[in-house]
Amino acid sequence: MILNMDGTKPIYLQISEWLEREILNENFKSDQKIYSQYQLAEMFTINPATAAKGLTMLVEENILYKKRGLGMFVASNAKEIIINKRKDQTLKQLVVEIVMEAERLEVSIEELIQMIRDANKREAGE
Amino acid sequence: MNVIDCKGLTKVYGRTKALNKLSFTIEENKITGLIGRNGAGKTTLLKIIGGFMRGTSGEVRVFSEEPFNNLFVSANVIYINDQMNFPTALSLKEILNVAATFYENWNHELANRLFDYFSFHQDHQYTGLSKGMKSTFNMIVGLSARCALTMFDEPTTGMDAAVRKDFYRALLKDFIAYPRTIILSSHHLNEIEDLLEDILLLKNGKEHLHIPIADLKEWAIGIEGLTANVNEWIGEREVIHLKNIGHDRMFAVVRNNFSEYEKQKAREAGLTFSPVSSSDICVYLTSKTKGGIDDVFIKD
Repeated sequence: MILNMDGTKPIYLQISEWLEREILNENFKSDQKIYSQYQLAEMFTINPATAAKGLTMLVEENILYKKRGLGMFVASNAKEIIINKRKDQTLKQLVVEIVMEAERLEVSIEELIQMIRDANKREAGE
Repeated sequence: MNVIDCKGLTKVYGRTKALNKLSFTIEENKITGLIGRNGAGKTTLLKIIGGFMRGTSGEVRVFSEEPFNNLFVSANVIYINDQMNFPTALSLKEILNVAATFYENWNHELANRLFDYFSFHQDHQYTGLSKGMKSTFNMIVGLSARCALTMFDEPTTGMDAAVRKDFYRALLKDFIAYPRTIILSSHHLNEIEDLLEDILLLKNGKEHLHIPIADLKEWAIGIEGLTANVNEWIGEREVIHLKNIGHDRMFAVVRNNFSEYEKQKAREAGLTFSPVSSSDICVYLTSKTKGGIDDVFIKD
């Protein structure tokens, strides 16, 4: 992953989101050890404290757990937590934005739903 | 442990106060970015910390000692700037060999590897180097010394983009391998911010802000919308930057202390929020007026 350096999204958030994607893609499985703050720092040329903050966020959300002296590991239900979180926050926020944009463009809700169906069909067709 | 303790430090040159009752502390093994406009007092501060000169009044402690005329501080601190005074009689390689005898933790292997990587020639003279090559050589000395307190004052002056990138990576890798306290002053905040843990922002010789870099991005937020709406939403909040867009729209940067509910309401009222980059926040915070260069060109 290339970090987005335009300064709009905090780096620790980008790190935790990248780790979430790695877990969703099953590059890291349950109870597997995840990268240390120093490995992440070196991989992305960032301060180790920033990397630690990204890891800590995932610990607070119970996606990772700490083993004293051994490092951080992927929780058994990590994938489920990430999916629920993204449904609850990211997807809802995106929907709000889509609805607002549709209002601005005077697109009716029916039309909008049809557009979503079409997009879904194209996705499925591929 | 605090590596640097600064209390009410003032430095007066003639009639100007380069530092004005500056107080802050820097903890061990952190990388701190020292940020400020030209003339904010960055170099003066670093020179006093390095023991190159004394403050006019106030107190500075480096490793709990007064740095001026102090052998312990000199042995454990390295200050790299673009006016390094290397002996002109020595070749580049000889400078490294001599420097190795000065610093207890000097890593000669690292020095030689960097020397070769950046294609220096052992017989060349420091005075014959280009500006960027001088900075690169200084950086090699600064990193290889592995001093407990390492200070880089505008280390990338004259370096091309590729070398700057190499420098940042070398700094980070050696910091991970050998943690130490590092102060980095630079005008390129956007380039160095990912390396930093803390940021110390100087304005007119005073500490203006000293916070973790991660908090800086959330410290302020941009709001754009119809001028009347924006003004209403700003209310009593501290405004850091204002800019008129077109006839009736406005962009404002304010302290980010809105609740999620307030933000949602504002969005529904047609205001858009945007994050503000760290370097922009620093520019706004250190600018002398709320306006900007545009104000110079306003004709009555």
